[in-house]
Amino acid sequence: MSASVRTAAQRKARLLLIAELSPVVIVLFVLFGGALVLAVLQSLGFAPWFGVNTFPDFSYFGALWGSSAFWVSLWLTLYYGFVSTIIALIMAIILSLALIKPFRSKTLYKYLYKLPLMIPYTVGIALVVLMLGNGGIMSRLLAFVGMIDNPGQFPQILKTHYGWGIITVYVWKQVPFMTLAIYAVLLGIGRETEEAAAILGANRRQIFFSVTLPQILPGIVSSTLICFAFNVGAFEAPFILGGGYPDTLPVVAWRYFNDANYAFQLQGMATVVSIGIVSGVILFGYLAAYRRYERMRGRA
Amino acid sequence: MTGMNKSALLKGLMTASALALMTSLAYGDDAAKQFRTDFLDGKASWDDVKARAAEEGKINFYYWGGSDTINVWVDSVVTPALAAEDVTLNPVRITGTKDAVDLVLAEKNAGKGVGEGSVDAIWLNGENFYTMSQQDALFGSFAQKVPNSSNFDWNEDDPRSLLNLRDFGVVTNSQEIPWSGQQYVCAVNRQYVDAANTPSTFEDMKKYLEANPGKFTYVKPPHYVGNTFVQSVMYAFNPDGNGAIPFQQSIGDLGAEELARLIKPGMEYLRAIEPMLLGADGGKARYPEDIAALDGLFLNGEVHFDCKFGLYAVHTGLQTGTFPEQAEAFIFPKGLMIANKNYLAIPANSPNPASALVFANYMASVESQASKLEKAGMPVGIDIWKLAADQAAMVEKAAPKHYGVTQEELDANVAPDTNASLVDVIEATWLEYIERGSSASIEEIVAKSAKEIAQ
Repeated sequence: MSASVRTAAQRKARLLLIAELSPVVIVLFVLFGGALVLAVLQSLGFAPWFGVNTFPDFSYFGALWGSSAFWVSLWLTLYYGFVSTIIALIMAIILSLALIKPFRSKTLYKYLYKLPLMIPYTVGIALVVLMLGNGGIMSRLLAFVGMIDNPGQFPQILKTHYGWGIITVYVWKQVPFMTLAIYAVLLGIGRETEEAAAILGANRRQIFFSVTLPQILPGIVSSTLICFAFNVGAFEAPFILGGGYPDTLPVVAWRYFNDANYAFQLQGMATVVSIGIVSGVILFGYLAAYRRYERMRGRA
Repeated sequence: MTGMNKSALLKGLMTASALALMTSLAYGDDAAKQFRTDFLDGKASWDDVKARAAEEGKINFYYWGGSDTINVWVDSVVTPALAAEDVTLNPVRITGTKDAVDLVLAEKNAGKGVGEGSVDAIWLNGENFYTMSQQDALFGSFAQKVPNSSNFDWNEDDPRSLLNLRDFGVVTNSQEIPWSGQQYVCAVNRQYVDAANTPSTFEDMKKYLEANPGKFTYVKPPHYVGNTFVQSVMYAFNPDGNGAIPFQQSIGDLGAEELARLIKPGMEYLRAIEPMLLGADGGKARYPEDIAALDGLFLNGEVHFDCKFGLYAVHTGLQTGTFPEQAEAFIFPKGLMIANKNYLAIPANSPNPASALVFANYMASVESQASKLEKAGMPVGIDIWKLAADQAAMVEKAAPKHYGVTQEELDANVAPDTNASLVDVIEATWLEYIERGSSASIEEIVAKSAKEIAQ
């Protein structure tokens, strides 16, 4: 009797688990997976609704990967992604280390730093244009005080391939996000290990690199993973603040989709799939390296 | 999730539903199909149309919503006028006309037939009309069947009817009704450029740039405003000296080789001025993505000229503060200021076709055209010579002021648009030769893009 009760309970638990998992599974497999399959199909020449069906046809990838412009675009995409993630990460670590120290008006500060989280990226982009553009507030102020003759002479910060505008927006928006993740981990581990290390004679540098950093690594990995994936796939900032041709890959894809000629949509799909492959490979590599590191340290 | 993934997702969703429904092709709403056939065959009287429109009671008008003056005019004039016909106007403001065309085609491919779509009317021209007619997504030849079609010249023997019968060289078959006529007009900022230094040809512009590097740029093709600039350059440097004439033929009739010969000098000019355009001293010429970006540069004094479609652009720009105070129009390029019309089209799967017809008829009326001209600064699409004297006077009275040029000068410098099939090839050549700085010859590029586009 006891055995049958256990199986009934087990069955119930399993049903509950399925019910809990299914919303996510449905969204992932039907919506995201379906879109992914169709994107791959289209990039391989399957689009009967435009009167194109040459499946399987690798010429779209061939044309894309065969042009040097693609590799320049890929480099730009990764450059903006890496640089902004790294700058944001350094600032977020410094900020979260500062936040766990007691200081006056800390409560206020803890609210202040989260402000950009509530503001959409597009608003951030508009702010950057308003502040740093050649007709922006900074340029007008400088022209007003007579440092330059007209706002047009303000040094070009936005719309260059150095991408300072893009990086500014990403860093501005992502520092609070990363700080949130790292600060939460810091709160969870407490200060005891650091204090122990200090008592045992470690200097601040040693404490940070040997004690604190390994402990906050889960927060670092998860937040940089999310931010980097966003930065590589995002379209608005490089479109509005970028330096024009050669564009980042998402902008290249948009240009193909937006062309009045429908044949270019398949080329656009090949671009989208390429972005997916590149960011997928990098993110899996990153995660695998992190897992390996954790195993080496004996954490599961 | 990223922006790109989201749009891929949406696309995927749309195509997924397309796939699912393609097998069970729906054939549309029977009453709407009957109405369409009756109207196009001339069996439905205008009173029938009005009665059905009042029953439908709604029209979804998709149009480019980037101009506040047009939006205000639509809300304050068109909406009440249609309400008097028992039709509620639902203006859907989009950032690019292609979005509406995409929606119609996606719905059509998802099996939504006559009467089952969601778009009733689109403001469009050129490539977008070409795409819709190629994909067989238009309601039919309605433009000569609405009462106000008498305001247009449909007589093929009169060359003045050309813009009603052809849209970027593509025969319209009355599947769209003209709404407004535009001309490509450049404005100059008199704060920096006096009359003596104002260029009137592309050669003059090059000289101006040599003396004042960085003070000019044009909207980046494939934006239609950029395409039009490139086309006028192609006309000006046509080696045969006959301007726009050979560009009226389709790519099939003209041939890639001949097109390459015609556009080579123009493309070389564009490459020659590139190092003197805005931002080129910083290493790379900057081409604004759209009109708003160009207007911003012009307002800031970063460039001295602003070329776009807009007979009354200076008037509107000064009113809204988007143009610098000393802006004026000028005649440039002499004799090659491209003029065209833009139109209202009804998609084949319009859910409220009768309301769309009532709407199109209202938009073609003298009253609505005059008020649009006065309040929104949008030139009329009707033909003045077809109007009664008092109507013509009404339009003339409504016309905003010109700054720096007269209507006669503008009319004297008109050039026609380029055939839509050539636009694609010229655009692709610009992207390859100018933007990507390809080392291939013009002949190779034109041959390659003509082949790709023909596919």
